[in-house]
Amino acid sequence: MIAQLFLTALLALVLVYAWSAHRTVPIIGLFASVAALAGLYFVWVPEHATALAAFAGIGRGSDLVVYTWVVISLLIMLHLHLKLRLQLDMITRLTRAVAIDRARESRRDARPPRKRRAVMSARKTETPPIGLQAKK
Amino acid sequence: MTEIRNHRIRNPWVVVAAYNEAAVVGSVVSGIRRAGYTVIVVDDGSADRTGDVAVLAGAVVVRHPINLGQGAALQTGIDFALEQHADALVTFDADGQHSPAAIAALLAAIEQPGVDFALGSRFLTGATANLPASRRILLGAAIRFTRASTGLPVTDTHNGLRAMTARGARTISLRQNRMAHASEILHQIAQSRLRFVEVPVKIEYSAYSLGKGQRMTDALTILIDLFARRLYR
Repeated sequence: MIAQLFLTALLALVLVYAWSAHRTVPIIGLFASVAALAGLYFVWVPEHATALAAFAGIGRGSDLVVYTWVVISLLIMLHLHLKLRLQLDMITRLTRAVAIDRARESRRDARPPRKRRAVMSARKTETPPIGLQAKK
Repeated sequence: MTEIRNHRIRNPWVVVAAYNEAAVVGSVVSGIRRAGYTVIVVDDGSADRTGDVAVLAGAVVVRHPINLGQGAALQTGIDFALEQHADALVTFDADGQHSPAAIAALLAAIEQPGVDFALGSRFLTGATANLPASRRILLGAAIRFTRASTGLPVTDTHNGLRAMTARGARTISLRQNRMAHASEILHQIAQSRLRFVEVPVKIEYSAYSLGKGQRMTDALTILIDLFARRLYR
C-alpha cells in the first residue's frame, strides 16, 4: 500500500509535468500523460499489469511498471533536449538583436555629421551674447 | 571592373556568413566589391580577425558576440540588409569557392517577372571543378531527400549561392542555426509558393574549402536537426 501511494504521488507529479510540457512540446505532453495514466492504472490494478506483461512476454507486472517508468524518463529527457533547443532559439534572437543594433550604431557613427543650415547660423550671429544685452 | 545594372533591382546586397575565415574573407569581399556590389559580412563570433579583415576589404560587418552557426548568421545578414532597404539579396560562401561572376547571373534570373528565388546549381552544367566522389554521393542523397521532403524538383541542395528578391527574403525565417538551414530554406520556398529558378554556377573546390565543408557525420546531424525542429513550436 505504501509503495502504491508513493508511486501514485510520483505519477501525479509526472501528470502535472506533462500538462506544463504540453504547451511547448505537445507530443511530449501527450506521450507523458498517456504513460503516466497507464502507470497509475497498473499501480492500482496490478493483476491487469501482470496479465498485460504476460501477454507482452515481459513476465511480471512489476517489471511492466518499471519499463513504463523508463519510458517516462526517456520522454522527460527528450523534452529537456527540446527545451534546450528552444532556449538556443531565444539566445539566437538576442544575439541577432545585439549584433544588428551594434552595426546600426557603428554605421551611424561612421556617417559625417550633418552641416547646420545656413539660416540657423545666420540667426545666431544676429543675436548678441547674453552678457552684452545685460550691459545695455 | 564594375557591372552596372539598369533593371528593377537597384540595391542588391551580398550576404556572406563567416566564421574564422580571416585567411580568405578579404579576397572574397574584394572580389564582390570589384564586381560592384554591396557586401555584408556576418562575423559569426570568430576567434580570428575575420571581421576586421572584412571591414578593411570594404564590407559592412555585423558581428555576432558568440558563434551560432551559418544559418543564424545568414538570417542576421538578411534581416540587416532588408533594414537597409536592399531590394535583392545574394547569399555567398566565405571560403572562396564561389565566383563573383555568378552573382550577376543569379540577379538576372530574379529580374524575370514573377521569379523570387534563384538557386545556384553546380550540377546543371557539370562545370564544377574538383568535386570529390564522396561529396558527390553525399550530395546525391541530400538532393533525393530534399526532393522527397519538399516536392521541389531541384538539381542541387546545400549550395550556398542563391539570390532572392526582398519579397522572397521576407518569407525566409531561418531557425536552423547550423547546416540544416540549407534544407530549411528550400522548405520555406516550397511553403511560400513563390517561384524559383535554378541557375548553373561553377564551384571551385580547393583544399581550404574542402577542409571546411560538410562530412558524412554532418549529414546525420542535419537530419536530427530537421526532425527535432518539427517536434516543438
